[in-house]
Amino acid sequence: MKAKEGGLRPLEKLSRSLLMLTGLVLASAASAYGQIPDAPIVDLPLVGNRTGVWVVAQLHILFAAFILGAPIFAVVSEWLGYKNNDPKYDRLAKEVIKVTVILYSMTALTGGLFIFMLLGTYPDFTTWLIKHFFLVFAVIYPLLFIAETIILYTYFYSWDTMKGSKKARHIALGVLLNVVGTTTLFVIDGPTAFMNTPAKAAEGMSLVEFVQTAGLWDKIANYSWMPLNLHRLVGNVTFGGFIAGLIAAYMYMRSRTDEERAYYDWMGFIGNLIGVGALLLLPFMGYLLAYELCDYDASICPYMMADQLSMFFEMQGAMIGLIFLASNYYIWLSMKRIDGVEKVRISGLVMIAVLIMPVVMGIAWKMFPPPEWQSLIFLAALVVLPPVLSKLPGLRFTVSAFTMIKVGFLMIVVSDAIWMTPHGFVATQGAATHDLELPEWAQELALMPAKNAAAFTLVFLTIVNYILYNRAIRLGSISWGKIDFASQFVLIFLAFSAIWTMGLMGTVRSLTRKYFHVYNLYPDFTPEAFTPTLAYSAWWVTACTVVFFAVVSFAIMVTLRTTKEKTPPTQGVPLPEGAK
Amino acid sequence: MAQQSLMGNIMKKGIIGVIIGAILVVFAKMTHFPFVFQVMFFMYAMLGAFVFILLDAPTMKRLEGPKAAIALVVFYVILSLVFTGGASGLPQYDPEIEKGKIDKILKRRKAMTEQGKAEVLIARVKALDERAIAIDKKLNSLGADKIEVVEEVGSVATSAGGDDILALGKEQWELQECYNCHKLGGEGGKKRGPIMDNIGSLMTPAQLREKILYPKTWMAEGFDKQYKKGKMPDKYKDLMFDEEIDVLVAFLASLKDTSVDTPKPIKMN
Repeated sequence: MKAKEGGLRPLEKLSRSLLMLTGLVLASAASAYGQIPDAPIVDLPLVGNRTGVWVVAQLHILFAAFILGAPIFAVVSEWLGYKNNDPKYDRLAKEVIKVTVILYSMTALTGGLFIFMLLGTYPDFTTWLIKHFFLVFAVIYPLLFIAETIILYTYFYSWDTMKGSKKARHIALGVLLNVVGTTTLFVIDGPTAFMNTPAKAAEGMSLVEFVQTAGLWDKIANYSWMPLNLHRLVGNVTFGGFIAGLIAAYMYMRSRTDEERAYYDWMGFIGNLIGVGALLLLPFMGYLLAYELCDYDASICPYMMADQLSMFFEMQGAMIGLIFLASNYYIWLSMKRIDGVEKVRISGLVMIAVLIMPVVMGIAWKMFPPPEWQSLIFLAALVVLPPVLSKLPGLRFTVSAFTMIKVGFLMIVVSDAIWMTPHGFVATQGAATHDLELPEWAQELALMPAKNAAAFTLVFLTIVNYILYNRAIRLGSISWGKIDFASQFVLIFLAFSAIWTMGLMGTVRSLTRKYFHVYNLYPDFTPEAFTPTLAYSAWWVTACTVVFFAVVSFAIMVTLRTTKEKTPPTQGVPLPEGAK
Repeated sequence: MAQQSLMGNIMKKGIIGVIIGAILVVFAKMTHFPFVFQVMFFMYAMLGAFVFILLDAPTMKRLEGPKAAIALVVFYVILSLVFTGGASGLPQYDPEIEKGKIDKILKRRKAMTEQGKAEVLIARVKALDERAIAIDKKLNSLGADKIEVVEEVGSVATSAGGDDILALGKEQWELQECYNCHKLGGEGGKKRGPIMDNIGSLMTPAQLREKILYPKTWMAEGFDKQYKKGKMPDKYKDLMFDEEIDVLVAFLASLKDTSVDTPKPIKMN
């Protein structure tokens, strides 16, 4: 029983319909449950209420990130295919959307389950929050979700009918899907951000009074709303890219022909390119969110960076370092199969700039903290001067691409070491002793200028590596499908690590509310209103990531199995237009 | 052949990694880095060695069918164990420390909620029930004149004598985590706020109260930047009960260590 071109098989349709139905039933049951007067509070066995809600919320956010991130990736890919007249991009976009359609049901299911869990375990708070954002929860969000559903299904099912002259309209539909999806994200971020930063008490008015009298917009447009929107938006693009890389890796492993391998090798390259491209912005978006949280209430900063959550950031540093190592290792493996790569060289001044960057920028940002203009002068000098000075006689020495990348790897390790060096190797500064703290002379290593310099070095050298990669593709000849098989594990590693890190940082954002459901406004009186240990959190983040990957892996395997049979082999030169 | 070159690669890079790690450890020791940082530096050297081993590693053979599936599962298991193991290996905050604080902060607020009132009532009913049983037992065995008065359980009211006020004020200092920004007795503080050891000599209790409730009314000399950025949270009027503010103010007003240079407060508005 084969599917029609562009459609789904009956079994898939049935399973998706059942999932959607279950989601609706759960949502209805949740609403009904909320109507019963004085319903007893549910006490979840084994895991407890907070962890139960945490796991469901985490899974919902992961699926939601997928269905919001993947269409951004897909429509860009579809547009590139249209613009360059390259069918590979179109196929890539369609495959990603096919998996998205399947996982859309999981988003609805986990969303329904999330409401159900909240009403059962935290009925008073949930009711309070719904009342404050009634228009959002009862009208705007459902309407947007319905609109998104209609557009997504129309976008997917019209793929093969809206070809040729209608293709532009199909792309416009994809853009509309993303506009609605992003709006949905921004709308639901309102209550989420409100829980972190409800409002600052106005002069002569208490916070409680202010919130009682504030309009919906005042509550939505709170301190951390826009930083959270931007952080999640960029995070979703990263998510989409790395998931495309994951799909490519699975399918590459399953490929039986050289054409298929060439195609999925190329898809992995594109996924990684988009994923890493967005990842480069992510640290800065994270800083912006953290800055707003600290600006809202200065006591959040030490809670995050020095006390209860400090080791969460230590783990984040380790993860970011691993992700940058892996993404650059993928570039390395990709370059190794390019014939003529040995011809690619770069100015030695760039290598020197990378080598001195952590120290120079650390000192510069200590003297002139960003966004002071002097700090940008130093930064611009390090970034712009090497290529300019390399034109001068006597400064034209160059190094090979491989030497530059190896130096880059060295600096990734150095930068990550700086990023991960804490003021004290303790879970909270209160427990710091002389034997666990940095010596006096080296304390700058634990301060933000050093961390910023390390983060910027990671970003800068990744960009340099991509420039080298691009030059290698232009000067040499790339053999798609011949990449080292280890690269597929690198793609999987990137997807898993990035999603795990998102889970960890989501935990941090949620925990910054401390013992409040809504910070400083609505206390959490349950016995679980404490900061869990990093180990406990890590186990649950891992559990959520593994469950998510199990579902996504199943969806990829089931959904794309038929594509192989139906899609004609790629034609012409396997080198993608966009990569030239 | 490939296996040999892999082994050679591992040996060569491994030895270089150990040498660099040893140099880093010696340097760290000479420059007074504690042992834990010396270990960390050594681990970075080994991570670097591992990365360079990977860079020059021979090409991996393609895996297909069940072998690929098993490799994938094993890979996911390893990733999960490494990530959770790594996180578990870092120092862990003990939630028990925080639980005690949260209980103290929220106890009174919880008692004011419907749920809190219900819990107090339930506790009282239980206590009365236990008391009735105890009385019944006593009556049966010892006689009514020997019944001991069971202390009432469940009262949420707290009382403090004059001698306890400073101790309660210090407790508020800890509970509200004032030490995060202010140094006192040489402990705490990250230069976000002024040292407090002599604040009682510089501000009256009424002024201290005003500063806590409305942070913009006073600024510490030399803390213009922090003042402009509003580093002192404007939240205590919402979070603290009057009695809690009273004891905190009393505690702060008692801080009169003139040997410590507490910045002069400036009235702003």
